Amino acid sequence: MTVLPSTRIYEGTRIPHPVPTILEVDPDEHRLEDILTINFGPNHPSTHGVLRLIVDLDGETVAGIRAVIGYLHTGFEKNMESKSWWKSVTYAPRVDYVSFHGHELLYVLAIEQLLGIEVPRRATWARMAMAELNRIHSHLVWLGTSALEIGAISLFWYAFDDRDQILDLFEMAGGTRMHTRYVQVGGLAEDLPPAFTSEARKFCKSMPKSVDQYEALLDRNAIWLERTKGIGLLSADDALALAQSGPMLRSSGVNWDLRKNQPYLAYDEVEFDVPVYANGDVYDRYKVHMDEMRESVRIVRQCLDRLDEMDGEPWIADDRKVVLPPRHELHTSMESLIHHFKIVTEGFTVPEGEVYVTIESPRGEAGCYVVSDGSARPWRVRFRAPSFAALQATATVVQGLLVADLIAAAGSLDPIMGDADR
Amino acid sequence: MSDRPLAKAGLQSERVLWPDRGPGVFEREVAEIEDALLLTTIEKAVAWAQSNSVWPDTFGLACCAIEMMSIVSSRYDIARFGMERFSSSPRQADLLIVSGRVTHKMAAPLRQVYDQMLEPKWVIAMGACASSGGMFNNYTILQGVDKIVPVDIHVPGCPPRPEALMEGIIRLHEKIRGGVPPAYQIRGVAE
Amino acid sequence: MSSYAGVPGVIETQESRGETTLVVDPARLIEACTFLRDDLGFNFLSDIAATDYLGWGEQGVAGYIGTTSGRDLNTPGSQGLSHVPAPKPKRFSVSYQLLRVGEQAERVRVQIWLDDGEPVASVLRVWPAADWFEREAWDMMGIRFEGHPNLVRILMPEDWEGHPLRKDYPLGGEPVRFSDED
Repeated sequence: MTVLPSTRIYEGTRIPHPVPTILEVDPDEHRLEDILTINFGPNHPSTHGVLRLIVDLDGETVAGIRAVIGYLHTGFEKNMESKSWWKSVTYAPRVDYVSFHGHELLYVLAIEQLLGIEVPRRATWARMAMAELNRIHSHLVWLGTSALEIGAISLFWYAFDDRDQILDLFEMAGGTRMHTRYVQVGGLAEDLPPAFTSEARKFCKSMPKSVDQYEALLDRNAIWLERTKGIGLLSADDALALAQSGPMLRSSGVNWDLRKNQPYLAYDEVEFDVPVYANGDVYDRYKVHMDEMRESVRIVRQCLDRLDEMDGEPWIADDRKVVLPPRHELHTSMESLIHHFKIVTEGFTVPEGEVYVTIESPRGEAGCYVVSDGSARPWRVRFRAPSFAALQATATVVQGLLVADLIAAAGSLDPIMGDADR
Repeated sequence: MSDRPLAKAGLQSERVLWPDRGPGVFEREVAEIEDALLLTTIEKAVAWAQSNSVWPDTFGLACCAIEMMSIVSSRYDIARFGMERFSSSPRQADLLIVSGRVTHKMAAPLRQVYDQMLEPKWVIAMGACASSGGMFNNYTILQGVDKIVPVDIHVPGCPPRPEALMEGIIRLHEKIRGGVPPAYQIRGVAE
Repeated sequence: MSSYAGVPGVIETQESRGETTLVVDPARLIEACTFLRDDLGFNFLSDIAATDYLGWGEQGVAGYIGTTSGRDLNTPGSQGLSHVPAPKPKRFSVSYQLLRVGEQAERVRVQIWLDDGEPVASVLRVWPAADWFEREAWDMMGIRFEGHPNLVRILMPEDWEGHPLRKDYPLGGEPVRFSDED
């Protein structure tokens, strides 16, 4: 990891004191009688879900801010403790509902690490392709909504049109557009359909052109530059102290990507670059997202080539204690019938222990801490949400901004409230 | 095809799917209501106008919000129904599409937004979580948004496809045109 | 892999499944964390996970696997484990997942064990990112962090009573027909 020689984004630290996540109004700079406290309520078009920001305004300048979350706290962790391992996987994608494959993958990776089972390589590469397609999907949603909030409204339709193509691919493989439940403990739920790689290649051909189009619309647009350059600054030291990861960290000059630094799945076997920008503002985060989309397309292409080579290989592990036997065997083999029965009624058991698995979700470092007591149900599942950590940086990032810039900066943190509140 | 005026105006959804069958249950019920209410021509015209420009409120909460956003996108264009104007101010919205799981913490803002809407107003509970609590039967999720607001249409799915949400919206339009009163006039909130 | 020999306050070091867990004395938590951050370079606090072990190893979950008395071959339908999970020292554990963002990426878990009501020092001064993580642990599990300037509820409404993720807190919700009915 290297920190790019940044343009010294700012001196010292801007993390508020004493509470890092609450920016208090400084009585030396603002007259307290001038302060107007407004509520960016949970229902607001640009709060990316149900985020509530209590903002103290001095005229149009943000003098104080605090973020209130919890409006989407769904009790995932408690619900998952009462379901069998198999059933609890259904909850995982709904945590971060824009990068659903990623979170499913995360939870299943944690279970597989506890089990110690080996996943066949076709499944690994297919999971990687799906995760990267999901990354593009998440970045397109981010781009569409953030650009919409800043005022580049037509980007919403362009981005969502491309996103629909990705969802078509997910539907082809997993049966439904979102929350596909395609990742299974041991591999994939089903094999990839025969036309998947060719359709995905068509998408990979058109996607870079779309990214070029978006950049052509925004990169040198005077209004976009005014509204994003120099807004929402975050230095590398502050970012690390606030546990920022993903595009937030990479736009502040820190070259850190879990896919390169702590590779999981087969990321050490694919070639891709990690975009790092040094200015720490909204414009750099936007550039990181755009470049990441291009890199993801590269990765998907490589995965598709490898998947074509592996055509016909098994897509799920062979361990009958964990994975359902193929249906045709149930007619002939007594053991398969018993395994099927036990797995369906009670569920497989996972050996005792605890693991903490992390992946590079589109928002940053997503982690899953699973504790098992050896039974058929999880004892404790804990999701480390990158959005939760990103929202902690709100108070640092919005210092000195105007109200309109606050929206741009809060959008660039890319919070997904399902992820933050779990 | 029956000779009901409304049927000529085009109750579409089931007939699109099954062109050879007669009027479905929904269509028959709406026709009965239309008979019972004996709408005048003015009321029919008003209902027609209302149904063609129902402006939804941006009440996206969770995963269903992503599918609601994709119904605005160009493939599942909602603008052909005159509904592309999502308004964030409830005072200018007609339809509250509750898309996503509603927590107890969010229930108060939801009710507040609903109260701020001007009548006539309709509510679509989109998805399993809004209709019944979905897969989250726990301490924090409201088991169905119809506990706090009266709901006109429940759209099942987790999340419902944009086409499924569109079916719900079309049925809402048909209800409006058929003269079915909005939910707050005919029922209170659930138990 | 760095050597954790110099970390102050370590009671035990566990290694399993490629992960290192340092069990630390809660009274020396700040010392240990400061050492890890400054001397060993763990500058990134990834997560703070609190776990409640009330009832650990007592129930035969789902009735199929087994009981604390082990495998019972004579009772139909009880497969049983050949061992019971090892009992835990105290009721709550708080795991600090640390990461070194640097030349050599490395993860370590610092774990402390607490009883119900026992407070622990807040690591906010070591990593500011601990702010909301500790608030969440307080909200969900009722673990009090001393020195935290703003220990209020974060996910539940402010006037909520109880700590939902504890094992003695019910799942809640409504009774659904056909579930658990005889």
